[in-house]
Amino acid sequence: MTGEYGGGIEIDLRGERITLLPERAAYWHGASTLLVADPHWGKAATFRASGIPVPSGTTRDALDRLTSAVNRTSATRVVFLGDLLHAKKGRSNDLFSALAAWRKENEAVDVVMVRGNHDRRAGDPPAELGFDCVDAPLPSGPFILAHHPTTDPAGYVIAGHVHPGIRLYGRGGERARLPCFFIGKETAILPAFGDFTGLADFEPAEGTTVYAVAEDRVIQV
Amino acid sequence: MILSESTLGPAEKWFESRGWKPFEFQREVWLAYQAGESGLIHAATGTGKTLAAWWGPLLEYLDESNEIERTGARRRLRRSAAAPLRVLWITPLRALAGDTAEALSAPVAQLELPWTVETRTGDTTATSRSRQSKRLPTALVTTPESLSLLLSRQNASDQFADLRVVVVDEWHELMGTKRGVQTELALARLRGICPGLRTWGLSATIGNIGEARRTLLGRGSGTSRIVRGVEPKEIVVDSLIPPVIERFPWAGHLGTQMVPQVVEAIEEGETAIVFTNTRSQTEIWYQAILAQRPEWAGSIALHHGSLDRKTRDWVEEGLRTANLRCVVATSSLDLGVDFLPVDRVLQIGSPKGIARLTQRAGRSGHRPGAVSRVTCVPTHTLELLEVAAGRDGVEAGAIESRYPVTRPLDVLAQHIVTIAVGEGFVPSELLEEVRSTEAYADLPEDEWEWVLSFVSNGGEALKGYPEYSKVVTDTDGRWRVEDSTIARRHRMSIGTIVSDAHIAVQYLRGRRLGSVEESFIARLKQGDRFVFAGTPLEFVRVRDMVAWVRRAPNVTGAIPRWMGSRLPLSGELAAALRARLGEAAAGNFRGPEMEALRPIFDVQSRWSKIPGPDEFLIERVQTREGFHLYFFPFEGRLVHEGLAALFAWRISQIRPISFAMASNDYGFELLSPDEAPIEDALAAGLLDPSNLIDDIPASLNATEMARRQFREIARVAGLVFPGFPRSGKSARQLQASSGLFFDVFKRYDAGNMLLSQAHREVLERQLERTRLGHTLQRLSAARVVITNPKRTPPLAFPLLIDRTRDRVSSEKLSDRIKRMQRALERAAG
Repeated sequence: MTGEYGGGIEIDLRGERITLLPERAAYWHGASTLLVADPHWGKAATFRASGIPVPSGTTRDALDRLTSAVNRTSATRVVFLGDLLHAKKGRSNDLFSALAAWRKENEAVDVVMVRGNHDRRAGDPPAELGFDCVDAPLPSGPFILAHHPTTDPAGYVIAGHVHPGIRLYGRGGERARLPCFFIGKETAILPAFGDFTGLADFEPAEGTTVYAVAEDRVIQV
Repeated sequence: MILSESTLGPAEKWFESRGWKPFEFQREVWLAYQAGESGLIHAATGTGKTLAAWWGPLLEYLDESNEIERTGARRRLRRSAAAPLRVLWITPLRALAGDTAEALSAPVAQLELPWTVETRTGDTTATSRSRQSKRLPTALVTTPESLSLLLSRQNASDQFADLRVVVVDEWHELMGTKRGVQTELALARLRGICPGLRTWGLSATIGNIGEARRTLLGRGSGTSRIVRGVEPKEIVVDSLIPPVIERFPWAGHLGTQMVPQVVEAIEEGETAIVFTNTRSQTEIWYQAILAQRPEWAGSIALHHGSLDRKTRDWVEEGLRTANLRCVVATSSLDLGVDFLPVDRVLQIGSPKGIARLTQRAGRSGHRPGAVSRVTCVPTHTLELLEVAAGRDGVEAGAIESRYPVTRPLDVLAQHIVTIAVGEGFVPSELLEEVRSTEAYADLPEDEWEWVLSFVSNGGEALKGYPEYSKVVTDTDGRWRVEDSTIARRHRMSIGTIVSDAHIAVQYLRGRRLGSVEESFIARLKQGDRFVFAGTPLEFVRVRDMVAWVRRAPNVTGAIPRWMGSRLPLSGELAAALRARLGEAAAGNFRGPEMEALRPIFDVQSRWSKIPGPDEFLIERVQTREGFHLYFFPFEGRLVHEGLAALFAWRISQIRPISFAMASNDYGFELLSPDEAPIEDALAAGLLDPSNLIDDIPASLNATEMARRQFREIARVAGLVFPGFPRSGKSARQLQASSGLFFDVFKRYDAGNMLLSQAHREVLERQLERTRLGHTLQRLSAARVVITNPKRTPPLAFPLLIDRTRDRVSSEKLSDRIKRMQRALERAAG
């Protein structure tokens, strides 16, 4: 673990160096690529538009976190593994101007979006953002980048979709639920990047190593 | 209207026709009702409270219609449709609505009144609903939730225009809950619509009956009174003493050993009710009794709130006609209009409260002058102590109080939106109405303003949430919900105050069996077997909010566990229990239970001590596991959980140390890898009752508890929606867990008052802060006695087991406990 990636954990996947970052993203060194799953941008706005009060601020925080990850890793490419936007109702001007501002700050970075189930209904982000939107799967080196965690004979799948979480128990009844990375034999599942996304508790497949994000540190569980 | 006894004639006559005679308290209620008074009637179940409340409005109608008849208008009235809504009858349980309507219908039919009596609950069919939406019946039996739904109609004022009285049944059940607050708010609205509306509450006898009246009637009900029903019969509390007294008892296993004695007791009478404290215990005991007496198949049944209505009807009918010899039941048979008296009442396990013990005893002895007898069956040897204490409490009339909920903002937010969906409101008027309830009498301006902005622009401190509006102001300055989708979703979420989502259990090809908590079903896999409604079942799948099952060949597998099943010991029973311990400490073993417990107390006093009335016992034991501290305040589990956390935190302020904890109704355990500085902690104010406000949140991992408490708040305040049937994609996009809301509010809108409500509820409801404070006052005045037993003494043993139980699987557990018991028994000689 090097200083620049403080708090992260480096692992080896099919011979490639991958750092699992506390920003809830993974950095693929060989391709200078930052992998990000399930931002669900516009989710809070979707709720508000439907009469459910959710405070604003989740999008801004997530974009700041994304900038931090890009800067810390000097990534030249960001690949979103689906569910970039939450729903059609959440396509607000506020959101798109925040995304545009982020884009301006990170002009040099190539951005690719592999579409997920939410994107089909929510639609692609505005073309001005210059995000390259493609359907899954996206083969990339030894990896298959996708939204749904499946297995693929053509390569090792890196995906999102399930928002993995894990419960940890401490002494005296302390409990915590943390987002986590599931690193399996043929598939890796990244935590959901968005702040207003929630976690799903489920049993990882056999042979899966679980890494939890505990605030500014990734720990192996 | 003539205020005299003579107007009671029709009632007297009707009673006479049935061979009855009205009780004095019933006459008192009828006259008070005629005089325009409201009130609260309290008495045991099945003593004529229903008829006391019902004949008031009946007599009023007869009186009015006689006048009409004198003016020749009666014929016209008869020909027209039934009289418009006059009586609202609120019942806490859907299951009781049908029974109640039936009981109310009897005199109506006999008097040939042009009245309709109907129910409206979550179970009401679509046909009845649509008929009722055109015209409500003359008397409507409904639940608090369904009443709120009626208030969300845009013609609410018209529908309630002729309403004379609201009767709230089982008010003691509602009062301590948020549904009680929901009822208070609905009553305030109804009083706003119909000035002069009378409110009559029916309640079991509770310790704070005056407060119960104030809470029910609020501040706008005019003259009112408390009416006490018939005096209770003489009550006898006894118990089945286990043949072998284990000196190291633990909960949960003794039960089955007691089955032969229980069966003998059942055989003493023609009919019996076996009460248990939880629905899963009902299933277990039903199976156990049937295994002991297979020939009873068909004449023994079970009854609990999760069973299908039809099954319960059949059971109740069977008891009434004495076709059933025994029914195993939960408190579902505690409530209800119809008195089902039996020869024999048994109570499995401690009743945990004096009121419950009294109520259950009241189910037996139906001949006039007969005594009510309840026989307690310990599931844990030490429960004999609770029986002895319970008897003292019953004799002293130390009935528990129920404490009303004050100022829950989630319920208020829901109510405001309900009114906005209906006729809309002007804030200043609604505030006055809301403040007329006891729950919100002291609602501060800023909390009111916050709730208004929460339902209109998001409630964030300085600016509203973007894109958000739920309640909007129309051109007349009335606040309304105009978006029909939001209105529909709100209507669906009213009535989600009741805690967990339930899911129906139904045969693949056949009838519905009842319902269980979704969390139980969620753990099942296809092919898993479980026992429900006394029947072994195989789980097939869940679809459309129904758990489909088929009959399984034999009884194996899990018994469903329902939420809220562990009742804590009540404060009154706890006090009686400490008094009994005090006697034992002085060598006085009064009564068969205490006599039976003598061997346990003998070991307890040899190895440690029986705490006297002014002593606080702390035991310090070292085992391979580490250093155990056992504390015995005898105040009930909830208080002990709070104290355990508080003590752990206060001790760790002296020296960093971590503890594992366990609590039961008698005391709690703190286990640490190193020895805890208990003497230093005591000297530094471990028992100090001051600073609780600061120390409790600091000690409690309070955020985690508040986060859990927020589940209910988020549901009531309309943030999350439990189980939309067949919800489409767009509804799924609006699903988020309450925990997620909690985190997001905490981070982005820390001023959200629902968060502070969650913290307050943790302190006041879960931890009973007041009782915690009183306990500390008592303990700090007591003499602290620290003993250092070499092995775990009998009082501490159940705590040791409880903590162990959480960690190991159940099969291995019983073996392990047996080994521990054997070792301790050998040591005790």
